[in-house]
Amino acid sequence: MLFYLVKRLGLSALVIALVVLVLFSLLHLIPGDPATIALGPRATPEAIARYAAKMHLDEPVWRQFLIYVGNAVTGDLGVDVFSDRNVTAVVGDRIGFTLALICASMGWAVLLGLPLGCLAAVRPNSWLDRVTGVLSVGTIAVPSFLVSIWALLIFAVELRWLPAIGAGEPGDTMDQLSHLVLPAFAVGLSWVGYLARMVRASMLEVMAEPYIRSARAFGLRPRKIVYGYALRVAILPTITLIGMGFGGLISAAVFAEIIFARPGIGKLIYDAVMARNFPVVQGAVLVATAMYIGIVLMSDLLIAWFDPRVRESL
Amino acid sequence: MAKDMGTAPETLLDIRNLSVDFRTARGRVKALRDITFPVSKGRIMGIVGESGSGKSTVLWSILGLLAGNAEVMGGEILFQDDDMLRKGQAAMRATRGEDISVVFQDPMTSQIPVLNYARQMFDILYRRRNMTKAEKRKAAVEMMRKVGIPDPDSRIDQYPHHFSGGMRQRAGIAMALLTGPKLLLADEPTTALDVTMEAQIINLLRELQSDLEATIVLVSHNLGLIAELCDDVVVMYAGEVVEVGTVHEIFHNAQHPYTRALLECDPARISDVSRRLPVIPGDIPDLTKPQTGCIFASRCQRAMPECRTIEPPTATRPSGGYANCHLLTGPLEDPDWPPPLDVLTVRSGESAVAEKKAPEGTPLLEVENLNVRFRTLGPVKARLRGVEDPFVDAVLDVSIRVRPGETVGLVGESGSGKTTLGRTILNLQHADSGSVRFEGQEIRNMPEARFKPLRRDMAMMFQDPIGSLSPRKSVRALITEPLQVHGVTGMNLDEEAERLADMVRLPKPFLTRYPHELSGGQARRVGVARALALNPKLIIADEPTAGLDVSVQGEVLNLMADLQAEHGLGYLIITHNLPVVRHISDRIAIMYLGRIVEEGRASEIFSKPLHPYTQALVEGVPQPDPDKRLTHVAVRGEVPSLLNRPKGCDFATRCPYAQDRCRAEKPAHETRPDGHSHACFFPLH
Repeated sequence: MLFYLVKRLGLSALVIALVVLVLFSLLHLIPGDPATIALGPRATPEAIARYAAKMHLDEPVWRQFLIYVGNAVTGDLGVDVFSDRNVTAVVGDRIGFTLALICASMGWAVLLGLPLGCLAAVRPNSWLDRVTGVLSVGTIAVPSFLVSIWALLIFAVELRWLPAIGAGEPGDTMDQLSHLVLPAFAVGLSWVGYLARMVRASMLEVMAEPYIRSARAFGLRPRKIVYGYALRVAILPTITLIGMGFGGLISAAVFAEIIFARPGIGKLIYDAVMARNFPVVQGAVLVATAMYIGIVLMSDLLIAWFDPRVRESL
Repeated sequence: MAKDMGTAPETLLDIRNLSVDFRTARGRVKALRDITFPVSKGRIMGIVGESGSGKSTVLWSILGLLAGNAEVMGGEILFQDDDMLRKGQAAMRATRGEDISVVFQDPMTSQIPVLNYARQMFDILYRRRNMTKAEKRKAAVEMMRKVGIPDPDSRIDQYPHHFSGGMRQRAGIAMALLTGPKLLLADEPTTALDVTMEAQIINLLRELQSDLEATIVLVSHNLGLIAELCDDVVVMYAGEVVEVGTVHEIFHNAQHPYTRALLECDPARISDVSRRLPVIPGDIPDLTKPQTGCIFASRCQRAMPECRTIEPPTATRPSGGYANCHLLTGPLEDPDWPPPLDVLTVRSGESAVAEKKAPEGTPLLEVENLNVRFRTLGPVKARLRGVEDPFVDAVLDVSIRVRPGETVGLVGESGSGKTTLGRTILNLQHADSGSVRFEGQEIRNMPEARFKPLRRDMAMMFQDPIGSLSPRKSVRALITEPLQVHGVTGMNLDEEAERLADMVRLPKPFLTRYPHELSGGQARRVGVARALALNPKLIIADEPTAGLDVSVQGEVLNLMADLQAEHGLGYLIITHNLPVVRHISDRIAIMYLGRIVEEGRASEIFSKPLHPYTQALVEGVPQPDPDKRLTHVAVRGEVPSLLNRPKGCDFATRCPYAQDRCRAEKPAHETRPDGHSHACFFPLH
């Protein structure tokens, strides 16, 4: 178990190192002088020289890379070109909003998709199964930015039930929650259908296993059999899927944050890319990657917690 | 109902005119038609039949757990005077696991892998509201102790994958008996187990039954198991009951031609080592079509024209048993039927093309002192834990040879290393030392590029006949696949497919079918055809009869024998089924924990086993004769894990004759002048 953790953490570090390398190369692969690119065509030569010195651009590339990595390890991701604030702090301000958004999105998708999938699997080809089937395919097919725009138009502009943009007043939890509803709905919607289909498929498979028949033959209650026995096994592939799904949610969050003007990491990256604020792009993508790796690791550990066979093979 | 006791026992379960249909894409399958039989309290009722007989459907009907596409068309199942078919869902659930419980076929798949036994047994007791958690645990531990699980107090917290197959089945029995059910249903309870484990489970069931005075309904295709355990027997064929009687009536005085044929086909019953095994020709009728007359008529050796049109009459025995056959009563009665037991009523397949020649010439395959090791940790983990890279010997100093025209049976229980040995011979597994020679050429660990031409001479027959065939290819494509893999050109593949199909006696229309449209026996024949496609010299067959009914396994084995006589093939047959190899093998090697413990001529292995393990295997096979029941369990315990191979003789931990020397040093192989070799300090003969 300990060996497994060490191995996984080592591999995670390797992946992050590769991401850093790619991000770093990106800046140097873009034709032209990084300083000019960063500061724009109208920057003065003095400003460019100052910038180059500050960013160690006068050093050889490999040294720049080592400096970046060295700083990143100590938590220093560089400095925002415009505000001169530390990138770590900038990203730190925003990450909470994104985490709240993707957790809320995945949360309601799981809470709704899982039971729907189970119910559909318990009675395959019932009306509930058919309805969820059609709705699932429908919601999977519609891109989340479209859902975002429509949700915004209907619930915020027409009906005025919910606030349209922003993340709410700091400190006011209710206000923040009400600002979370629409984006979370838009981002999570396709996952409800996706999860329901996935859970249905693996539940159908597990419900046909001999040990489910055993549980029936011992007279256990249907609800116990479905949620206590079958789902316990059927959930395993779904956990992996949810873990990987967080990666997709991070990119879906970019759209939602832009449309709802939430100050999250997606919006940060978007704005930084538009403004050629490369230290921020680098830092934010790095943090998003680390977050994703952490979530996948957690989902693998969760599987081990559910399945004793996996646990012992670690 | 048949009773051979003085008093009339009470009827606990009464099945009357039960009919069940399955709705399938091909139409309605009339799976059960008019099933009627009672089960008396305190007795063991056996339901015996081959696949498709509907025996399991009866069992699941009792529990009301038929598949979703099943429809009960009529009849009643009276249990304690309640009709199970008309009980509500809640009432049925209250009966299941409480009054009626089940022991399942395969303990590997019928127990949920992610919950430990304490939790599973706790769940079964959920209706006992007046029991505390501690009391429930105590009851579960007690039951596990009763079924012979050592150290139940700690093992109850383990998961199914921590248990060996035999122990899992014990746990399965413990779960079934936990609530003290009035009726216990057992669905092929030993089919998934090894011979020595099967004997132990039979013994356990017998002890528990007399202890608890339980009523058991045992469903099995295994005549030996039925004869071992049952008091009364129901014989089913294609969804009908053809004969009912006491176990002695069925096994010693079978009336129905099907019962007779079934008994005659059982290889365990055939004592003379003849190469030809009896078979029941044909397949079970298509139950989607309406049946007239006797259901068995199409395969019956004594069928008369009337059998196909007129429903057979019921001939009742004085004991209460009965059989449905025109030969027994009515205008067509034959006073000479049934013939004495030593007269064969079924044909032993088509006559051999040629007499088998004595094996001769230089050996095709020579394996000498072969060793295969599996690393258990891997170098990095081993170093981290500061241990020498540990390993297990899956194959230990194995020597075996196969000559042209010779059949060698390699027999061992699960975990004996027999399959690893087969894979190593085929160069699919790296070997650590020793030698494997094919026609004198060393082939051990040969690079695949050089070995590929040799694969044409060594073919493999796989264990799972349908699973090893690609479901998307037609039989024609499957049969000629080896030719294409090896790039054989210059021959007409269609003609070749027809020639091969002809060789394995597969009718031409089958060439356009797909694997799922084949029966087990037909899929086997496709497997044989594929093995023969490249005209090999040696065929390695992994469990060639696994999953086949007794009435068709003879067909496959006879075919293999014919092909050997014609082409002088050498066979290495890997199996756990001793009775089957007995009839087709020239020599038999017995493997235990990766080592061959005895090797010799087939007849001698049976008549004069030298190694106690061989003796246990030979005697452990349940005989289809209620007068030859196992009186004692020859071998106790389980096969030890390869991780802690005993220091002395591998078998010493379980051997009833083991002495100090056996536990201290490993016996070397000793070969007697007649070629019979063994690895035992104190051979039995």
